[in-house]
Amino acid sequence: MIDFAHVTKSYPNGDIVVDDLDLSISPGEFVVITGKSGAGKTTIGRLLIRDLLPTKGTITIDGEDLTKLKAKNIPMLRRKIGVVFQDFKIIPDKTVGENIAIALEIAGFDNKKINAKVDRLLDMVGIPGKANLFPVQLAGGEIQRAAIARAIACDPPILFADEPTGNLDKDTSIEIFKLLQKINSDGTTVIMATHDVTLIDLNKARHIHIEKGKIISDSDKKPKSDKSSEVPESQKDSEKDPEPKRNHKYSHKDK
Amino acid sequence: MNTALKNIRRSPYQAFAAIFVVSITLFIVGIFSLVTIASQSILLNFETKPQIIAYLKDGHTTDQVASLISNVTVNSGVKKAVYVSKQEALELYKKSVGNDPVLLGTVTDWGIVTADILPASIEITATSPDAFKSIASILEKSDIVSATPQGKKEIDFPEDVISELTKWTNAVRMAGLVLVIALSVACVLTIMIIISMKITSRRMEISTMKLLGAKNFFIIKPYLQESMIYGFIGALFGWVMCLIALLYSTPFLAPRLNGVIVFPIKYEIYLILLGILLSIGLLISFFSSLFATARFVKRSK
Repeated sequence: MIDFAHVTKSYPNGDIVVDDLDLSISPGEFVVITGKSGAGKTTIGRLLIRDLLPTKGTITIDGEDLTKLKAKNIPMLRRKIGVVFQDFKIIPDKTVGENIAIALEIAGFDNKKINAKVDRLLDMVGIPGKANLFPVQLAGGEIQRAAIARAIACDPPILFADEPTGNLDKDTSIEIFKLLQKINSDGTTVIMATHDVTLIDLNKARHIHIEKGKIISDSDKKPKSDKSSEVPESQKDSEKDPEPKRNHKYSHKDK
Repeated sequence: MNTALKNIRRSPYQAFAAIFVVSITLFIVGIFSLVTIASQSILLNFETKPQIIAYLKDGHTTDQVASLISNVTVNSGVKKAVYVSKQEALELYKKSVGNDPVLLGTVTDWGIVTADILPASIEITATSPDAFKSIASILEKSDIVSATPQGKKEIDFPEDVISELTKWTNAVRMAGLVLVIALSVACVLTIMIIISMKITSRRMEISTMKLLGAKNFFIIKPYLQESMIYGFIGALFGWVMCLIALLYSTPFLAPRLNGVIVFPIKYEIYLILLGILLSIGLLISFFSSLFATARFVKRSK
């Protein structure tokens, strides 16, 4: 369970980017956060990976308060939350394979496993055989897929995708959205931040709309107390699936 | 390790600069270590030679000599006291001048050098230069020690040579130490600058790695490895340069240091020197990169 409780993030110049945000996300949910540029979507992601500290309020993941997290435990937290960055953050002088491998190296995988896993991930995100190409040799949609592959490389229980369809054509955007849905159907909690909802079938996800750092609407209408008993659509599907699912535990202290 | 090697391949001139500075530093360290060891051997050689020679008057008796030797050896600072007769003095003289006909007097009007014109003597070896004064005072009181027309006893007292030599040895050591420290600082700064530049140029990659959950050690490890490769290769080059310098100077040094240092130098000495230079090279490079990366770790908190 991810829980933002009265979270405010302001900067020394007085700009308030997140304003008294209350938000709970259950394991396995697919959440789409929409809002204009500057509404605070990216800040939510940065708060989630402790790239930023809230000015007020608390953020907890499975009861662990991120505001009280010791600096030495931050890397472990970040390994549990895959992030597809708005600017991709794909390292330009490393090949696609190396870019994905770096996440696995950080997590301590050995080289043999890394090579096999990179190939599997590239297959999964739909760019097989591109491991040895440099980012500059890929199309925009392919870079986006490589970024997703890197984000899910360590099977994180949470995936935050920041504008994953930005600057992509309609067909590619739909494919990326479907890919995120597939990842969610494997049990990963997916939080997708986007400013463009026209291409997304919001019926298949919980939709939160924010403006100036405040939640304006949340399609999850049920009271907070009922949320724990709610089974997300993706999980209902997963119950029928005999394949083993990803670990839902968020704890970042197990390594 | 692959990342470290890749970093070196990508910036060969920086790698060359680092290796060059380490090599020169360790070459100087090696040379001064050898000079220090050699000067120590020379000093030791001087110290173990008879340090005080008292020339005796002609006509002394064996009893008088035995009495003087016994008086001198009572002194706790005396290691050895030996009587050198006129005949032995001649043998020593011949040995020291070799076959030089001028010095042997065979081609001069002054006649051949014979035992008669050389004085007998007592050669004393002290345990330390501190004992020189008390030994000299005993000798000065003796009647059988010859004196100059001015009344000064003929006692060779090479304390000045040793103290002069010690002074020179210390000066060489000090100069070497200053040079080694200066070069080591230059070495540390060069590696620090190179590693800092590399970290700065890969800031975006490093920040991405941090966002992906990399610990600081994971990020700095390739830079530490890269720096230690510089230290290792630099030490090897420095050692090879020492080796070449030593082999090249052996024909010059061997006759001059005959009896003091054995040439050619044993290969064990070369191996010990290699071990020392590798250790210093790796330490310098490790700490240089550690300083550079520590600044990064501090900044990236």
